[in-house]
Amino acid sequence: MKQVSFYYSTKLTFDDYVHDHSFALRIIPPETETQKITACNLNISPYVSTQQTKDAFGNNVTAGYLKGDHRFLDFEIKGTARTDCTKHRTDYMPCYLYPSEYTKPDGELKEFYGEIKSKCTGTVQDRAEYLCDTLSDVMEYQKGATDTATTAADAFGLKKGVCQDFSHILISLLRLDGIAARYIAGLAFCNGETHSWVEYWTGDHWEGIDPSNNCCVSDDYLVISQGRDFRDCAIDRGVMFGNHTRQLQLVRSVLT
Amino acid sequence: MSTISKEHSDRLYWLGRYTERSFTTLKALDKMFDKMIGKSHVYKEYLDYFGLSDTYSDSKDFIRSFLYDENNPNSAAYSLERAYDNGIVLREEISTSALSFLQMAKDTLKRSESSSNTRFSLLPLEDILYGFWGSVNEHIYDDEIRNIIYIGKTVERLDLYIRMKYPYESVKKEYVRLLKNLRRVPKDTPYRYSTKQLSELEEIMGSQQDYENGSGRAAGALAHLFETTEVFV
Amino acid sequence: MKDIRQEQFTKAVGNAAEINELLRRYGVKFGIYKNGVFNEQFFPFDPIPRVISAEDFKSIEKGLVQRVNALNEFLFDIYHEKKIVKDGIIPEDFIYISKGYLAECEGITPKNKIYSHISGIDLVQAKDGVWYILEDNLRIPSGASYPLIARELTRIAAPQAFEENEIVDNRGYAQLLKETMEHANCGGIRAILTSGRYNAAYFEHSYLAENTGSVLVQNDELFVEDNILYHRTYSGGKTRIGVLYRRISDEFLDPLTFLPESLIGIPNLMEAYRSGNVGIVNAPGNGVADDKGIYYFVPKMIKYYLGEEPILKNAPTYLPFYEQDMRYVMDNLEKLVIKDVAEAGGYGVVFGRDLTKEKLEEFRKTIIAEPRRFIAQEVIDFLDLPILDNGETVMRKADLRAFVLSGETTRVWASGLTRFSRNPDSFVVNSSQGGGFKDTWVLKEKE
Repeated sequence: MKQVSFYYSTKLTFDDYVHDHSFALRIIPPETETQKITACNLNISPYVSTQQTKDAFGNNVTAGYLKGDHRFLDFEIKGTARTDCTKHRTDYMPCYLYPSEYTKPDGELKEFYGEIKSKCTGTVQDRAEYLCDTLSDVMEYQKGATDTATTAADAFGLKKGVCQDFSHILISLLRLDGIAARYIAGLAFCNGETHSWVEYWTGDHWEGIDPSNNCCVSDDYLVISQGRDFRDCAIDRGVMFGNHTRQLQLVRSVLT
Repeated sequence: MSTISKEHSDRLYWLGRYTERSFTTLKALDKMFDKMIGKSHVYKEYLDYFGLSDTYSDSKDFIRSFLYDENNPNSAAYSLERAYDNGIVLREEISTSALSFLQMAKDTLKRSESSSNTRFSLLPLEDILYGFWGSVNEHIYDDEIRNIIYIGKTVERLDLYIRMKYPYESVKKEYVRLLKNLRRVPKDTPYRYSTKQLSELEEIMGSQQDYENGSGRAAGALAHLFETTEVFV
Repeated sequence: MKDIRQEQFTKAVGNAAEINELLRRYGVKFGIYKNGVFNEQFFPFDPIPRVISAEDFKSIEKGLVQRVNALNEFLFDIYHEKKIVKDGIIPEDFIYISKGYLAECEGITPKNKIYSHISGIDLVQAKDGVWYILEDNLRIPSGASYPLIARELTRIAAPQAFEENEIVDNRGYAQLLKETMEHANCGGIRAILTSGRYNAAYFEHSYLAENTGSVLVQNDELFVEDNILYHRTYSGGKTRIGVLYRRISDEFLDPLTFLPESLIGIPNLMEAYRSGNVGIVNAPGNGVADDKGIYYFVPKMIKYYLGEEPILKNAPTYLPFYEQDMRYVMDNLEKLVIKDVAEAGGYGVVFGRDLTKEKLEEFRKTIIAEPRRFIAQEVIDFLDLPILDNGETVMRKADLRAFVLSGETTRVWASGLTRFSRNPDSFVVNSSQGGGFKDTWVLKEKE
């Protein structure tokens, strides 16, 4: 068990006024068996009235609508939590066993799985760890080669990527192997950015695994959201109107 | 009170304008028909109303273009087509039966193209367009909403009467009609007119002499009375 | 007897030119894109009505109510406890590989637990008189407006036919629809959401809006604030919408939940829906129940949820997924029709009899390799219907789309859309394929 404090902020700036801006944030960490949220404070600027709901995957959704002209939207969240990875989450959904938008394997990925399949034996945990090991042997962690729209198949083709890509490929392999797996977006003790990792279903509960660091998940990981892949976990999604051509996003996150 | 969006209210306004434009165009062309009997190129007068040059070989060519050519933005066919475009998205506001009059008007105009007597074949069109207005009037229950389409209609008629150099008394009558419509517009709606343009109009319409000297300005003021955007489909 | 009635009517209506002229005038059109250009076409009306006897309709009605009730139970189950999967009635794969299953809808309970408010069930009658279900349409079935307006006009053209025959009045559809929408209403006005006048079914959208007294809206007139759906009024105000009969597909409904690139959706509509502040007709996620692969299981659903024997039959269907069915399919491939579960809209449909020997063998291998991807059906010997073609009566394939509305109770509209193929060799009755439609008479019970 560990007491952690978290901080996350995003600054969206537009190069012209926008209006009728609807957004949905998945930024408030869920209260689960493995993490108790002891304090949490969300600030959004400019002021806007918001509503909280829980989505199908158990994420906290903060929805809002900014009608008038504005050139920026900032939100920041601060809080503390008690993490305990010895406890287990059991919120299973069958869809986690089937390919999703970002994790659909292509021929190359299927072929790769075919080659290593015979060595992938033992308990679910053994198999998950084996797949994670193999993945870190063939993939290189490299920023800039991929973006948020890159699929598991694309990143595997490049053999390069960041945590999002590592997670997608591992999920794809786990599901090929008949193990249900889900994407986790969260904060970890790393370099000031959001992190992502994977949870696989042991048959009884979820177990975390971090493919970009090829290690198990510890109390130093705080879950913000979960889903079939990145698409279910986007921290902010928005639709706005105006003559803007660009938006600039600054993100900062800390977990201590 | 029914709920109507900005998009639909704009379309109502333009439905009013285009329906009236086709109606007044048809009437003016009918008059022109009569003048053209036994004379050539008298239709130049009509072209002058709109500042157009005579590119037509004869009266027949002129009539064909201003009645039937959908690519001529001053033709009856073009206005009817635009009226229909605006009307089709307003079915639940104006009713299927009102919309059917526009379809009938389109069909009647089209059929008249192959008729041996054009004026004769166009006679039912006037009835049909009156039928359209009767139907609209019956169906739109909300006075505020009904007023929008009538504002469009009156603005268009006034504009065309000024361009077509109708006598002062006729123009004045339409101007008074517009004032009556404008008086019904509640505050805080997009159909709030520009008071500056209205006082300009008021000044010009004050006397026959002022009108005759300032009809160009009157048309300009009318054009800017509402700075509402046209909805294209 | 049936023929006499039809003949009388046909005579009275004449060669249908008048009715078609009236339909034209009332704007009964559907739009199609040809070479990228939008065109509006008139949906040709055939004057010879399809007549359904009171006894026939009674059993169809009972069967349809039963089927739609079971489908609604199934949808609630799938998005909640999934008992039917846990109890092994339907293999899990069939649910979760279906494109119509939307994980985003898990746990959402629509008002009154109704998912399919308007169901369009396609039936055909075989030569032996038996009715078969061809497919269920539980997403946004269209077509109700055509028979509605056709009846309005044929009553003008041939009043005596309606005097002499005891025909159930079908003109209450709008009222039925209005009641159904009201039952799903979460407080506010009724609205029909269209993607605009270039949608193929735009006539229907506007006609139903007019006749149910709903506001016809496009997405840019709507917004969600504090998880409530509003219509933006022209004077700058807002009116709350309590029920949205949407005529756009699930994946375009809300760009913040589904396809982010959707330009015709309403951001955060799903949040308003999840919070119970707006009813969506039909509910998002219904596609899982009208999937080709799920169709096979509908009779089993009826038994499972209702404990009843299915009244209406499916076309005999085989799932190669099951060993016994696979054997049958392999032995009879040349006389079956094979459908690819993942494909839609007439694609991926192969008649065994059309294949060469080599192709047949090739196809056999594909089915063995991917048994879950296919269903196989017996080819039904359709009862052809008479249609008038240049003054002559010819026989053509036709189907019937029945409309089942679920509100306070589940009711079948005593009419339906009878579509026919104009091409003598075609089984395709789709309007975009040049088909036409007929009035459908349901006869009153004799007193």
